Amino acid sequence: MPSVSNTNQSTQEIAVSVRNLGLTYTTAIDRRPTLKARLKSFGGKQTRTIRALDDVNLDVEYGQVLGVIGTNGAGKSSLMRVIAGILPPSQGRVEVYGSVSTLLALGVGFNPAMSGRDNVFLGGLAAGMSRDQIEEHFEEIADFSELGEAIDSPMRTYSSGMFARLAFSVAATVRPDILIVDEALSTGDAKFKEKSFNRIKELRSDDRALILVSHAMGTLREVCNDIAWLHKGKLIQRGEPNTVIDAYQEFLHVGKSAAVDEDL
Amino acid sequence: MSAPLQVYEPFRAGLPPLGRYWKSLWARRTFISQYSKSELREQHFDSVFGQLWLVLNPLLLSAVYFLLIVIIGGSTDSTRYGHLTASLFLFYLVSNSLTGGVKSVTAGQRLILNTAFPRIMLPISATIIALFKFLPTLLVFLVMRTIIGLPFGWEMLWAVPVFFIAILFSLGVAITISCVNVYFRDIASFLPYLTRTLLYLSPILYEASSLSPKLRAMEVFNPLFPILDSWSKAVVHSEVPATSSMLQGLAWAVGIFLVGTYFFLSREREFAVRL
Repeated sequence: MPSVSNTNQSTQEIAVSVRNLGLTYTTAIDRRPTLKARLKSFGGKQTRTIRALDDVNLDVEYGQVLGVIGTNGAGKSSLMRVIAGILPPSQGRVEVYGSVSTLLALGVGFNPAMSGRDNVFLGGLAAGMSRDQIEEHFEEIADFSELGEAIDSPMRTYSSGMFARLAFSVAATVRPDILIVDEALSTGDAKFKEKSFNRIKELRSDDRALILVSHAMGTLREVCNDIAWLHKGKLIQRGEPNTVIDAYQEFLHVGKSAAVDEDL
Repeated sequence: MSAPLQVYEPFRAGLPPLGRYWKSLWARRTFISQYSKSELREQHFDSVFGQLWLVLNPLLLSAVYFLLIVIIGGSTDSTRYGHLTASLFLFYLVSNSLTGGVKSVTAGQRLILNTAFPRIMLPISATIIALFKFLPTLLVFLVMRTIIGLPFGWEMLWAVPVFFIAILFSLGVAITISCVNVYFRDIASFLPYLTRTLLYLSPILYEASSLSPKLRAMEVFNPLFPILDSWSKAVVHSEVPATSSMLQGLAWAVGIFLVGTYFFLSREREFAVRL
């Protein structure tokens, strides 16, 4: 459906457009949480303003597999949350052309007292799926996660590996136009890693955009066709995977070794 | 090229587009029912009787008051016992809604940080859970009032509008307090004292008509007073509740619901950075 206002034909297959995006938030800090300090600061706590994203411009096109890299606190997760519509931007504009899987790594398991099954359903329903859609996918999710009967026990009894396996299975089984996988690639044992890696490869298609946040450089080199490097809220470099990852690793002053490639 | 499905821009304080918000909320109504069901199941997950507790709770509660009023107190007035249980059950609807609502947003942190959805679903679910706990108590009360021989009459139908006023009120307080708790976490610690005070200030352990005119003046400040008074009139005495009480209750309920919802909707977009 061509619309009159959008005549820009050159960006036909665009999935996400991020323009001059800025994100700041303030957090309260408690330097010395004593009663005296509390009384002194009563009514006005000390706050710190964090600039999580600073003038970020980024386009993601359909058919692209974009890896997002950066050190801890670089703003990777914040960027993903803005694209998913969870955090409102402070400046700029984000346009999303398609359905986004908002089931990020930790979206499942919001209530640890409930069973894995309940959490999958609740997470899916909250994300706007219908019960039928989830039921349709549920077997596949359960199979892929290899949880077996544990799917019906409370999630507080899960190991962190089981937790991550379920989260990844949900994100990778629902097939949205735009899939965001945040830090979920390098979880689980070697076998599951391999499996999830293969699933990501399967999910690559011309009518889907994938955005992967990960520290597993080896994986990113292999699956992505584009890498964005964020540092302290700014987009440092964007381009061909090997070039950007090499630059990033040089920046970190670490050499190229197998260990670094796998988990940085 | 099609228009963007979603556009995210800095938000100014104020309400989000209500039409779209409502559509997105309506599309997720199954979440609310599923959440309530799972939550109720989970609350009694480890107990032997499981969800039977939903009926056992009101039964035991009324048994305790039977012991207190009829056996120990030696009262032969069945109206008094009926009034107490009926009012207490409705009071629990409101107080369960409050205690469930207060942490509904802060406890949903994981979901809020990872999924985009209308946040108001969380306090609404808390009220629905309170409602699910209330419905069996209604049944218990109906059986009990037959046994103790309270009068039946068409006037009891007035309980229906009173019930809806109480639901709207519960919803309003749940929405309000869940939002307040995001900014002022201390409210959760104050809450037990608040509900306890509300319990004593409301005509539950006594009848509204037995209060001195001077004490009745406080009725104006307690939203639960007119609601509970009307409720007792209808379901216990089988009388038509005073129009003024009904209107007063309705005004409170609509007022709190509107103010709370406005407050919540204009704030909810920043919950993700406040948790």
